[in-house]
Amino acid sequence: MSGFWGSDLAGVAATWVAALVTVLVWSYLIGERRVFQLAQHLLAGLATGYLVLLAVREVLLPRLAEPLVRDPAGNLLLLPALVLVGALAGARWLPRPVVALPVAFLVAGTAAFALGGAVVGTLLPQLAASVIQPGGAETVANGLVGLGVTSLVLIGFLHGVPRSRIVGGAAGAGRWLLLGGIGGWLGFLLVSRLALVVDRIGFLLGDWLGLAR
Amino acid sequence: MNEPDPRPWRRAALAPLALVAVLGVASFVRPGDSGGALLLANPDRSRVTELRVVLAALPDQPLVLVGLDPDLGTYAEIRTTVRAAFDDLRRRDARLAIVSFTPEGRAVAAAELDRLARTGFAQEALLDLGFIAGAEAGMVRAVTALVPVAAEGSLAGAVREAGGGMGAFDIVLVVGGGDLGPRTWVEQVGTRLPGLPIVAIAPTFAQPELAPYLRTGQLAALLATLRDGAAYASSVAAAAGPPNVPNESPERVPSALAMLIGMLLALVVLGRTLLASAWGGAGSAGPTETDGRHATRSPRAAAERAPSDEPVADGESAANGEPTGDGEPVEGPE
Repeated sequence: MSGFWGSDLAGVAATWVAALVTVLVWSYLIGERRVFQLAQHLLAGLATGYLVLLAVREVLLPRLAEPLVRDPAGNLLLLPALVLVGALAGARWLPRPVVALPVAFLVAGTAAFALGGAVVGTLLPQLAASVIQPGGAETVANGLVGLGVTSLVLIGFLHGVPRSRIVGGAAGAGRWLLLGGIGGWLGFLLVSRLALVVDRIGFLLGDWLGLAR
Repeated sequence: MNEPDPRPWRRAALAPLALVAVLGVASFVRPGDSGGALLLANPDRSRVTELRVVLAALPDQPLVLVGLDPDLGTYAEIRTTVRAAFDDLRRRDARLAIVSFTPEGRAVAAAELDRLARTGFAQEALLDLGFIAGAEAGMVRAVTALVPVAAEGSLAGAVREAGGGMGAFDIVLVVGGGDLGPRTWVEQVGTRLPGLPIVAIAPTFAQPELAPYLRTGQLAALLATLRDGAAYASSVAAAAGPPNVPNESPERVPSALAMLIGMLLALVVLGRTLLASAWGGAGSAGPTETDGRHATRSPRAAAERAPSDEPVADGESAANGEPTGDGEPVEGPE
């Protein structure tokens, strides 16, 4: 059971719509492309409408317009934000240098937060955790295995430099280790996707047809 | 000479349809009916124990911040686990505040909030913090200012009294799968509030990425495989006994037998495709952009398929990737 809808009329209608759209998408399995494309267009249209609604109802009105109307003096920083939003919205008609300003803010801000977080929150702690510290034999062995695998995979990325026979062999081993890792990850993906198929079939049989409640 | 199949899509669709049919039949078989040898729940309960230990250490009526940002496509995989976590928290008298930083997450959050209200979750213990735009920047701002101005109620008041930011909460439960998942929470929130425990539920594909954070302690607990999720759901159900909440529909994990059969069938289909590719066959590919015409994968097959009046000249055209007689580009020999 997806449990998203109740047993009232709206819930029944939502279940039927979801089931029919699922069947539309699965029509691709028998090579029916037109119906599948209809489902794709439906998804694109609904997603666009949803995003617009979300932006207006949950961002622009409550976090920009309402604070400015209610207390303009207390929200002075929102005024330049309003100008930047206006510049982005009117990008088609404004000169490029004007539009470049909000885009630069957007990209630079996102990059700064993402990069800073990656260094402080991921790179440094993971490097610290990878340092082989004296301890039990298992800890040291794990650290050495990690070091060896990482080194071999990194050597596998050496391209365009003269390589000796040993380095060539290490690079080959690194590529095989990389393939092994990717294979394992694909195995995870297979299990993940199968769970989704089983769930969807359960939805059709249980929620829609009522066969497996 | 073999006659070309006038409707190649039928043969191509046979395997996926068989997969769907068999999975459909197998879906009827419940995990509990499968016997002890075929259980989805992981017998290694260490991940479940980690999460339950963290939750057990919470104070009475804990304030729990739920970062609900799953991917719409993969949420079905972790839905059972997430709802088991909600049930677990409900039985610990937790007060939940749900926030989303992605549009997809907001859609799921709205649906789950509606479901929680329908299944009898106390309204005064539930706070909808809505959608916060700005990706990482929005998350960083939410560390100190999380509650919307319009939010009302005792829970909103309690969070405001405790500072109004994420520091007011006892724990963060991150439901990942989308762009801003547990990793972003660890990087942006964990570094600013190191004393705030973060636990996470994520789809299986995210497990290799998130497991290192568990080892460093940046994540206090992590459920990121279907088997761990099933084990957690069964442990919560076992601890709670039969459902006593009105209108609560029983939550099911996918059938273990269906998963097993599906994996075996998928392996057969994959092996058949690989073998066909290795031997130059072209009959195993699924429907293609050319509406049933299969892309040629080898020069030999290209030569076999090329019309006699436009032959492939000793592999030259094929080697150069130029179109052959039937207009389909082919790959050169490796």
